[in-house]
Amino acid sequence: MKDFLSLFPANDFSLIAVVMALPLLGAFVNGVFGRRLGKDAVRLMTLAVTGASFAAAIATFIALDSAVALTKTTEMVSEHGGAAHEVVKHGHAKLAWTAWEWMRTSGVRDATIPIELKFSVDALSGVMLLVVTGVGFLIHVYSTSYMEKDKAYWRFFCYLNLFVFSMLVLILADNLPVLFIGWEGVGLCSYLLIGFWYEKSPNATAGKKAFIANRIGDFGLLCGMFLLVYYTGALDWTGIANGAQNLVNPADGAQVHLWPIGGGQFQDTMIGGLRIPLSWLQPNKAWTITGATAVSIAVFLGCTGKSAQLPLYVWLPDAMAGPTPVSALIHAATMVTAGVYLICRLSFVFVMSPAVMMIIAFTGALTALYAAAIALTQNDIKKVLAYSTVSQLGFMFLGVGVGAFTAGFFHVFTHAFFKACLFLGAGSVIHSMHVRVHDDERAQDMRNMGGLRKFMPLTFGTFVASTLAIIGFPLTSGFFSKDEILAHALVNTPVNPFAERLTARHIEVWQPAPWMNWMLWSMGILAATLTAFYMCRAVFMTFFGDFRGWTIGRPSQVLSKSAAHGHDDHGDDDHDHVEDLSTPSAPPAESPRAITIPLIILATAAIVGGLFNPGMLKLLSEHFTFLPMDNWLEPVFEEASKGVHYPEVHTLHSREWLSTGGAFLAFAVGTYAAYWMYILQKGKHEAGYMSSVTKLAAGFSGIIFVVLGGVIIALSPKEAFTPHMIVPWLLVAGGGYLGYHCVKERAVGLDYVYDHSIVVGVDALADTAASVDQGVVDFVIARLTALVVAALGTLLRVVQNGVVHVYAGMMVLGLAVVGWFFVQPHAEASVSDLGNGDYVINASPGTGYGYRWYPDAKGAAQNEKFSAMDTLKVHLDEGTTKTVKLEVHNAFSNALDMPIVKWIFPPSPVKEFTLTRPKVEKPVKLELGER
Amino acid sequence: MIPVEYYVALSAVLFTIGGIGFLTRRNVIATLMSIEIMLNAVNVAFVAFNRNRTEAHTGQIFGFFLIAAEAAEVAVGLAIVLSLFRIRRTVRSDEADLLKN
Repeated sequence: MKDFLSLFPANDFSLIAVVMALPLLGAFVNGVFGRRLGKDAVRLMTLAVTGASFAAAIATFIALDSAVALTKTTEMVSEHGGAAHEVVKHGHAKLAWTAWEWMRTSGVRDATIPIELKFSVDALSGVMLLVVTGVGFLIHVYSTSYMEKDKAYWRFFCYLNLFVFSMLVLILADNLPVLFIGWEGVGLCSYLLIGFWYEKSPNATAGKKAFIANRIGDFGLLCGMFLLVYYTGALDWTGIANGAQNLVNPADGAQVHLWPIGGGQFQDTMIGGLRIPLSWLQPNKAWTITGATAVSIAVFLGCTGKSAQLPLYVWLPDAMAGPTPVSALIHAATMVTAGVYLICRLSFVFVMSPAVMMIIAFTGALTALYAAAIALTQNDIKKVLAYSTVSQLGFMFLGVGVGAFTAGFFHVFTHAFFKACLFLGAGSVIHSMHVRVHDDERAQDMRNMGGLRKFMPLTFGTFVASTLAIIGFPLTSGFFSKDEILAHALVNTPVNPFAERLTARHIEVWQPAPWMNWMLWSMGILAATLTAFYMCRAVFMTFFGDFRGWTIGRPSQVLSKSAAHGHDDHGDDDHDHVEDLSTPSAPPAESPRAITIPLIILATAAIVGGLFNPGMLKLLSEHFTFLPMDNWLEPVFEEASKGVHYPEVHTLHSREWLSTGGAFLAFAVGTYAAYWMYILQKGKHEAGYMSSVTKLAAGFSGIIFVVLGGVIIALSPKEAFTPHMIVPWLLVAGGGYLGYHCVKERAVGLDYVYDHSIVVGVDALADTAASVDQGVVDFVIARLTALVVAALGTLLRVVQNGVVHVYAGMMVLGLAVVGWFFVQPHAEASVSDLGNGDYVINASPGTGYGYRWYPDAKGAAQNEKFSAMDTLKVHLDEGTTKTVKLEVHNAFSNALDMPIVKWIFPPSPVKEFTLTRPKVEKPVKLELGER
Repeated sequence: MIPVEYYVALSAVLFTIGGIGFLTRRNVIATLMSIEIMLNAVNVAFVAFNRNRTEAHTGQIFGFFLIAAEAAEVAVGLAIVLSLFRIRRTVRSDEADLLKN
């Protein structure tokens, strides 16, 4: 170990580079040579690089662990007056590697801020590192089989390896700009992989949608970066932490002005006799927020985009157009959790703004509930999982929003296992459903499945295991992580760590109200109940009962027993055999080992992963201290934990018990309801259920706006009926109408709302632009220009008649004109000032020309003879003006004394020059005291 | 000694004759001959002006070069005339309007 650490010192830990470079190498080789190398070589390459990267990640983690061990301190602590016992604490250890200095940017007060291409791994990114490379490796193994028959095999693995590289850049970045590279890189790979089967237009559209939704978020992240440079003068994690307290500077100049923008003044204006009242736009006191709030809200906007939270979640369900392993890796396990990771990373900034913490928590809770409600209505197995992902991400944001960063991050950790396993299981199911039907949509429809447990026992077992985890079956990983989040939602109160100091200076500090805990918690419990219901519904519809797929179609070719039928034949869906559908053919079968082994590993992790942080067990015994994840991450969140307050011990315990009970009840109720409906009643209420949940989910879109408006009103009850609360009231009213309208239209999700507001607006703008383009640009400008050019061309074409003589004649004419111009004498001269009032005037020299100067325009010539190089010297007194004359003639004037020559070349062009010497003002000496 | 102006005048007259011939004659052979006349007019001017400058022979040397260039030009020109005749069966330049429009 010692040798190992001496090989890789903590501040030059180049093993990180190995971890990152391997997937990049894989992407390069597969992308450039993959087509020629063939599938076997591509498979070998991709598995070798991701496997080696995982191995290097493990080595990195071990090195990190020993680096952490060096910081361990032991101290005696006595709690609640009990006996003192030893507590081992460890500090924040970090292994860093700098590639090179990227650039320098200038901050406030001319400070130069170096931005280095630096990577580091600490406790937080270490865990992410293992998850990304580990789960990534398993999914790569799975994909080698799943994508077996795809003709663009090499392209798929090029993208997938590139994704792993980008994700590693994202989590290992030591500063925000480098993180942003990874952030955009994963976005790019996500786009490429969603539209992997780009021949189908909906897939390409889904890719674009993901890209655009993410751009909105990235705008926020960029703004956050600019603000951080401005306020903290740094972009790397350590630097931001050092300068973080500038973010809560209460001075007026250090605040971000929301309104009026730029300190502008709004005065009533008069146009003619009409008075336009504008002064009401001017508030009595400028609306300001602290730098911390501005940074947090901007960064959080970035997180909502990447992590598919309200209001930007809409891209994730559509992203299911990509191959299923992509959904598992990118849109469930890793990329979408980047937002949570970023908030954990900058937790010390976020806690400075309890208001934003509450916004995050409410956004998370609302998203969890909203997505869960939509998941109830879905029949496509991947869509159910997609909404489930959105919902679980909501739980994570709820966790970090109430300041339970460890709990939120732990949910990232467990979610990576069980959701990846669920997606891969769904992929396995779809894979085998392709035996029956070619159409993607029908192969993914749960109404065509059923009874698959008999055909694919391994897939069934792993799917159920991870379902148990996600619905919170006691002692599974999901149970512990979700319980932790819900418990913290009920007990945590985010407060500004500087609250006391600010209050001492009579500065108002916002504090969350106690009802918010209860509201967040009940939303979380409700979402957990719905989660249990829709996940069990998916399991029951897919694996239980009788197989309903016998009559949906027949494969286009007779298949061997193994499900050797991949996703290859997209585009030939038009040959669904309609004839004789009742004849049973090949049944769905268990997937090959490359698919089932990753499933088994992930399912095992989903069940036992909770042991890394069984926080709930702490309730049973006070001396229970086995919380590896909690201890491991403690130094990372040390700063942030100062921003969280807990109630006193007694309340804490009772609330935690209540929360655990609630979570268990949610699991039990949801599961039993699904059991009753799909097993006991055999799904005969399905139609009625669908109709009512669709109405419910549709109405939810409006409820969001009602809640949003309602919360704003509830925050300032005294002003609830004053005129400037009109916006929240409009939100309430508009939300109500929207909800009603969506229920009437059965429109589930915000897509409908966006389509009828933003998309319509953008379309109208585009139509206007198009008509301007056609009417003005194309018609007036383009046609008019073309007309002029065509007319000129017609005119010139007459001359271009192909007869050499005409050309020669024109040449002669042109030469004659040019010759005339040069031979014609031009009276041009240049004046040079010698100073002291002496001027020398030179006529432009030219062979064959003669010059004659008249020192006085009215007087006689200086020399009677014309000369080729005659100059005139003039002396002027100050403030005087003199006019001199120049006469020019040319050789023809000399040689030929003929009238015609004199007429063509006027003999002596004359030009007068006026010379002025300005009067120089003598500087007047200023008396002192005078202006 | 004959003054240089006389030579220049001769040169100008020859050049004008050549120019008018070039512009008016339609026979390509005649056109070529007109060009020769113009070039010879230039030659005359060169040599005549050179007589005033005893220290250099630039004009005369230039004249020699021009004679060589004329010879080459006539060779190429006649070849073009021949190939024109092969294509169009004519040596009239106004019928050779392949460059039209």
